[in-house]
Amino acid sequence: MARPLIGFAGMTHLGLVSAACGAEKGFGVVGFDPDASRIASLKRHELAVSEPELDHLVAKNAERLQFTASDGDLRGCDVIYIAPDVATDDAGRSDLGQIDALLERVFAAARPDAVLVVLSQVPPGYSRSKQRGGRNLYYQVETLIFGRAVERALRPERYIVGCADPAQPLPAAYRAFLDAHGCPVLLMRYESAELAKISINMFLVASVSTANTLAELCEAIGADWSEIVPALRLDKRIGQHAYLAPGLGIAGGNLERDLATVIRFADEHGTDAGVVRAWLANSRHRRDWALRILHEHILSKVHDPVLAVLGLAYKQDTHSTKNSPSLALLTHLHRFRVRLYDPVVAASAAGHPRAHSAKSELEACDGADALVVMTPWPQFAKIEAQDAARRLRGKVVLDPYAVLDGRAWRSVGLDYHRIGA
Amino acid sequence: MISHVSTQPRNPARVVVLGARGFIGKALLARLLAQDVPALGLSSSDIDLAAPLAAEKLAASLKSTDAVVMLSALTPDRGRDIATLMKNLAMMQSLCAALAKTGCAHLVYFSSDAVYSFAAGRVTEEAPAAPPDLYGAMHYTRELMANTLGSVPVLILRPTLVYGPGDTHNAYGPNRFRRAAHKDVKIQLFGGGEETRDHIHVDDVTELTVRCLRHGSTGTLNLATGRSVSFREVAQLVARQFAKRVEIVSAPRANPVTHRHYDVVNLIKAFPGYRFISLEEGVVRCHTETAGAA
Repeated sequence: MARPLIGFAGMTHLGLVSAACGAEKGFGVVGFDPDASRIASLKRHELAVSEPELDHLVAKNAERLQFTASDGDLRGCDVIYIAPDVATDDAGRSDLGQIDALLERVFAAARPDAVLVVLSQVPPGYSRSKQRGGRNLYYQVETLIFGRAVERALRPERYIVGCADPAQPLPAAYRAFLDAHGCPVLLMRYESAELAKISINMFLVASVSTANTLAELCEAIGADWSEIVPALRLDKRIGQHAYLAPGLGIAGGNLERDLATVIRFADEHGTDAGVVRAWLANSRHRRDWALRILHEHILSKVHDPVLAVLGLAYKQDTHSTKNSPSLALLTHLHRFRVRLYDPVVAASAAGHPRAHSAKSELEACDGADALVVMTPWPQFAKIEAQDAARRLRGKVVLDPYAVLDGRAWRSVGLDYHRIGA
Repeated sequence: MISHVSTQPRNPARVVVLGARGFIGKALLARLLAQDVPALGLSSSDIDLAAPLAAEKLAASLKSTDAVVMLSALTPDRGRDIATLMKNLAMMQSLCAALAKTGCAHLVYFSSDAVYSFAAGRVTEEAPAAPPDLYGAMHYTRELMANTLGSVPVLILRPTLVYGPGDTHNAYGPNRFRRAAHKDVKIQLFGGGEETRDHIHVDDVTELTVRCLRHGSTGTLNLATGRSVSFREVAQLVARQFAKRVEIVSAPRANPVTHRHYDVVNLIKAFPGYRFISLEEGVVRCHTETAGAA
């Protein structure tokens, strides 16, 4: 058969990355979004999303990648993904209003024989509730990782596809698109696929929460978590790729959404979610790691201190600040002068009343009593300890993610702190 | 976690301290007056809150614009039985009845860390209240009673072990150790004194209370320093204040070893940059002031 034409509805992070990667795989792609201004920006190759390689892929595949604000352009598509980013509130609850509306619009615009695939993250039960007679509706698990979205979309580990009846073969066009990625395709009922997505995230949270718990204990008893990790990775039951890096709590929004969903469903059905609540409590606790250390070493000791904060994004290689530990920290530092620098996020995102927007890492250090590295951007690792020490007024350095070379920073007389030691 | 109704601190119209002759009450009243905050101290000799008609009598002393600090309570050294519990609840009942009549601008209820169980070593304000005895149950019930006053902004303060000059109690800790060292040149620990606890100086308790009053803070806040030490360390610290060698001896332990550490991050957020009196500094200060007063 001829290569199917693939549509993606919703040109925010997930949809845009998926569309660009579909084109990179050689498929004709229609990227639809009802927001005409967003489409206009995309046509000018102005992307509101920051992901490694994304700009390059959009430019490189311009001929195969059509952006449109007209849903009529979806009529030619054989497979249409519904892929808007689903917003969450502070409690991690999804706002499904936008995807509901978009799905209805795609149902109306698509050919009756087109395959519709919900790619956005939705709660268990969503897909079956949207199924309608005579139409092909599937749910496909997305495993987007902020900062690694392109890599994950081009080389997925597997596809998990939720179906009304997993015993039935996939339509040829959909199968052809999935097969082009050369990975296993797992078919299961809708509810299993929806819960599979959540299950993956739950295991990641479990690993990180365990790492956080033990890293904190390391700090208290003189152990070093970084020495323990290699031993864990050599245990086959834990594995080389396990999430063992401690951090400043769960951020980004997606994991929090899944935790909230599991608690909600468990409460509704009377199953036990105590451990999930404990993960959330641990996440809240670890988020304040930097504040505790700053209070102990600077805020309770130095009059009107100046703090240099590097990194505002919730993690490296992304513009997203959703539940960013850095912004959370800055919320509690409004009384103090801060000097902010992030390679992508503007200092104004912090909404801090006494903030100076620095143009570089070293400029942020000028005259500061403490340096805090709140996002593990790789470029921060290149800061020379000696240069920073010369420009800092104080000696305290907080590097929760161990981006800096602790030994080098200590060797120039700085009081270096990281998580887990 | 607490929230400040007033982001900028401002003095309340008047603070009424109930239990003004007690250890904390006396120190709080003194601090308020020293900081030019209009204040009225009432004690059981003025109004016996457990007595009939106490509510009417108290209401006559209150104004709707007052901030009220409730410190009146029969502490465990006055009894741990059901009768003491009921008297304490009657006192709170009188206060609530009075406030229902007069209203007030702000109610600060001094609870206790006795509302927490010893099942977990780390305590935050989010830890569920699970009082292990009637004293803890009394405080938790009084917290709930305070929160029935729908229109009154309520702050619950849960102090850990408070020490300092003027302590009228003789609880196991710095004050008792100092008295024992002074009188007997000997401090007695239970077992090896391994239990860790957080000790807060009364000046920190009163300073934080005044700040809460000035901000009209509401919610629940633990008053603790975030640093726990063993009773043996406290005993050694106290012993070092004396010229004579103070002996530290061990008595059979009546209860299993428990630990309690406070995560004070909510306090740090509420009062950024707050500097606690360290235990070392506090014990020295206590010793010097007590010696000076003697």
